[in-house]
Amino acid sequence: MAKIGVILCNCFGEIGNTVNLESIRERLASDPSVDFVILRESLCQPGDASAVHAMIRDRGIGKVLLGACSPYGRMEVVRLGLAKEGVDVRTVRAADLREGCAWIHGKDPGGATRKAANQLDMELALLQNMQDSKDVDIRVRHEALVIGAGPAGLSAACGLARMGIRVHLVDRGTAPGGLLNVVTKVYPTELSGPEKLKPLVEMTGGNPLIRFYGKTKVASVKGYAGDFKIVLAGPEGSANLRVGAVVLATGARLLFPQGLYGYGKTKNVITQMEMERQFATGNVACKTAVFIQCVGARCAERPYCSTICCPLSLKNAMRVLDEVPGSKAVILHRDIMTPGSVLEAYYRKALHRGVQFIRFDADRPPEIRADGQVSGVEVFDVLSGVTRSIETDLLVLSTPLVADPESAALARMLEIPVDKHGFIAEVYPVHPVETRNDGVFICGTARWPVSSDQAIAQGEAAAVKAASFLRKETASALSMSRVPGSKLGHAQANADACTGCGNCVAVCPYRACKLQRVGQRSVSRVIKVRCKACGSCAAVCPNGAMQIPEQNYKVTGAMIRRAFREVR
Amino acid sequence: MAGISAALDLAGNGHRVHLVEKGHDLGGQVAKLDKFYPTDHCAFCPLWTEIRRCKEDEAIAVHPLSRVDTLEQQPAGYRAVVVHSAPVVDPSLCINCGRCETACPKGVAKPIGEHSYPPVHVIEGHRCGDCRACVEVCPTKAIAFDREEQRIALDADEVIWAAGFDEVSLAPMKEYGWGTHPDILTSLEFEAWKAEAGDNRGKIIRRSDRAVPRSILFVQCAGARDLRLLPHCSAVCCMHALKQAQWVKRRNPDIDCVILYTDLRTVGRDYYEYALRDFNGNGVRLVRGRSSLITPLPGGNGIAVKYEDTLTGKREIRQFDMVVLNGNLQSSLASKPAPKARPELSGEGFVTAASVSCGFVMEPADVTESAIQAASAALRTITDKN
Repeated sequence: MAKIGVILCNCFGEIGNTVNLESIRERLASDPSVDFVILRESLCQPGDASAVHAMIRDRGIGKVLLGACSPYGRMEVVRLGLAKEGVDVRTVRAADLREGCAWIHGKDPGGATRKAANQLDMELALLQNMQDSKDVDIRVRHEALVIGAGPAGLSAACGLARMGIRVHLVDRGTAPGGLLNVVTKVYPTELSGPEKLKPLVEMTGGNPLIRFYGKTKVASVKGYAGDFKIVLAGPEGSANLRVGAVVLATGARLLFPQGLYGYGKTKNVITQMEMERQFATGNVACKTAVFIQCVGARCAERPYCSTICCPLSLKNAMRVLDEVPGSKAVILHRDIMTPGSVLEAYYRKALHRGVQFIRFDADRPPEIRADGQVSGVEVFDVLSGVTRSIETDLLVLSTPLVADPESAALARMLEIPVDKHGFIAEVYPVHPVETRNDGVFICGTARWPVSSDQAIAQGEAAAVKAASFLRKETASALSMSRVPGSKLGHAQANADACTGCGNCVAVCPYRACKLQRVGQRSVSRVIKVRCKACGSCAAVCPNGAMQIPEQNYKVTGAMIRRAFREVR
Repeated sequence: MAGISAALDLAGNGHRVHLVEKGHDLGGQVAKLDKFYPTDHCAFCPLWTEIRRCKEDEAIAVHPLSRVDTLEQQPAGYRAVVVHSAPVVDPSLCINCGRCETACPKGVAKPIGEHSYPPVHVIEGHRCGDCRACVEVCPTKAIAFDREEQRIALDADEVIWAAGFDEVSLAPMKEYGWGTHPDILTSLEFEAWKAEAGDNRGKIIRRSDRAVPRSILFVQCAGARDLRLLPHCSAVCCMHALKQAQWVKRRNPDIDCVILYTDLRTVGRDYYEYALRDFNGNGVRLVRGRSSLITPLPGGNGIAVKYEDTLTGKREIRQFDMVVLNGNLQSSLASKPAPKARPELSGEGFVTAASVSCGFVMEPADVTESAIQAASAALRTITDKN
């Protein structure tokens, strides 16, 4: 067993004036696994870390127990110092003797000392019993797969190529561009969709690191971060790839407003996309264009705001005024969603340009007058409290982006969750393009409705995050952690004890537990690079077959027995 | 958060980073938040995790309590002169024992009132009586009054601006009544006041008399979307107010919470449903309108607010116990006096595309948007140089 060194910090009397460190020293020194117990005045001051490191090195100590302050005191400084000295901080445990004992129990030195001794005993029991997870190294494939060649996917692919990484860019269409291809003017610019994407599309065609696969779908995904095995199905049959990372950028669709406001049976009731096509062919002709916002959005069925529809209507309303002399443009809305400085300025521009805005209430939506052809709209203007009747010959419905069912199917293949609307979920707001499955990144409207500018920024973000992983030669399973330092360890399945009940598979948030057939039996297996050592599997395993060696039931049991030794 | 994210993404791709921060610790304005929307999780842990990653990364040199004094473009890259300020208490030595606080006869040595990990004490030198009792009692020799600012020159290939936002004083806009009564707060002041980890341990009380308020009004677009002060929409305030109002309701359902808004801007994932939770009966009331006057009532009778409910057309004068003002956020590079080293700014004070930037200095952004912009800025910084 590795020898344990104990170092107690006096903290200039902050600990030692209350806690009887000498009695604790004697008590710990009598433990056979303890090599030495040393009292130090401090651990966090200049020079302390190197002195402690020298002591560990000279005495051949494998594990260290510190009696010092709280992790929210200066223990962070101590640990960072030791790590910088090259000490493996996973073998360093600390008991909080300052905030948790000396300070809070300042009036009861005897009690504070007992509590300090108890905490140290428990940590000692942990160190005595902990085992090391066997680390595994995976070879990282320095290639990436980007699924979807809209603004987000193109930006991700080009970003990766600029970082020197080979990219396979797959799209179900024949050419890159996605939804933006039909947009004749991208707000808030004067550029058309293809013009905006031109630099990215040109790079995709001209960069030897990017290979574009048109009319191609992903047939299957196996593997994990660093080594995904992909099968593509394209016009020339199937292709096998091995990539280190996958970027999902499959985009979204616009809701087709069948049956809403007479769409489908009334002439001159069109969607924003149809309006874009009319602009493209120069066929826009109207006296008064009326735009209705939130058609099929922010309603019981789709309780979300689709982000892009308000600026889209601002743009198209201004375009009508610009391109059709003498025309009027009216936007019927529930809230104008133009957050920030750029879009708010765009809203002000539309107001100055003469676009008329009428606010309606969700409970009293506009009603159209139509007889095969729309002739007018009645709307209760909530701001002035009157019903307005507008003569119109063009009604444009702003419908939301909705999730593409194909994205959800891909998400299942990539073992990442979708939210209740079918959009792909990120791991946490602070990590917006990362997913629960390391090595899989998301960007663009497959993630959530966003503008093309935001989609491009997300593509770049996904590229930079993927590149930071792909530049490694190998990745160790213990390094695959979002928390600082390396992770505690990873779960290990004891095949002899496993009955194949699948509880661990059901609870694992990272899809690291898998059932595997071994002979006649089904047993659990852990994909170590995915495991984050959360311990959920160990908690639900009825047979104790799932354990994290660093903190398994033997360790926890020993800690609890040690804590209650005196009571018993 | 933007600067931290950008630094981590750069370091992750093999680049060395100098992270210059004016505060005691990394974290910026996010460190002042009690909760994140829309998860209602504590803001601190995710932030702390990122800060820890920065401090652990050998490729990132963190310069706290520092500012960029001058920045010169050179044939290859930039030279920045960074000033490390000279605090009386050296945070790298202070063990937060509080002996200076006990010894100080003037009461100017105190625990730091802001985010700093590890926590430290600070001494406001200008109010000190020069007795030096604190220097005598400090066990780690962390206290010194004769430290001098250090100026160091840093060479860098590229500069990313991620200086975040500042609150703009609402005092010139007298109709908001800010500064006339302790119970008229800005949203960030209220966030700190009601914080679970703050001095009040999450209790919702008035600042004036520490009594439980009967009603709180959240005023949106205060100073923002207003050509007299800030033309832009600060983007984060609608969700911020919803978060705070719902939190108040959860802590104390008897407090009447009203949000006075212009457009309820809820465009992110789950944001609109977060707002919907209100309509569905937990009692935060949303009123569309703008206040024309907020003024304290005499005799501690709360605050009178004059506003029009623009959806019903009714003009109201109502009494509230507390008023929280939301919206007065601007790019910190636009604040007065202007820093000597700064990039080209738009008329509204945001960094233009001529420089690489991320977070609120580029465009009003919440934590999620900032993290995306930061990664995107990191990519452009790396690849534009190659």
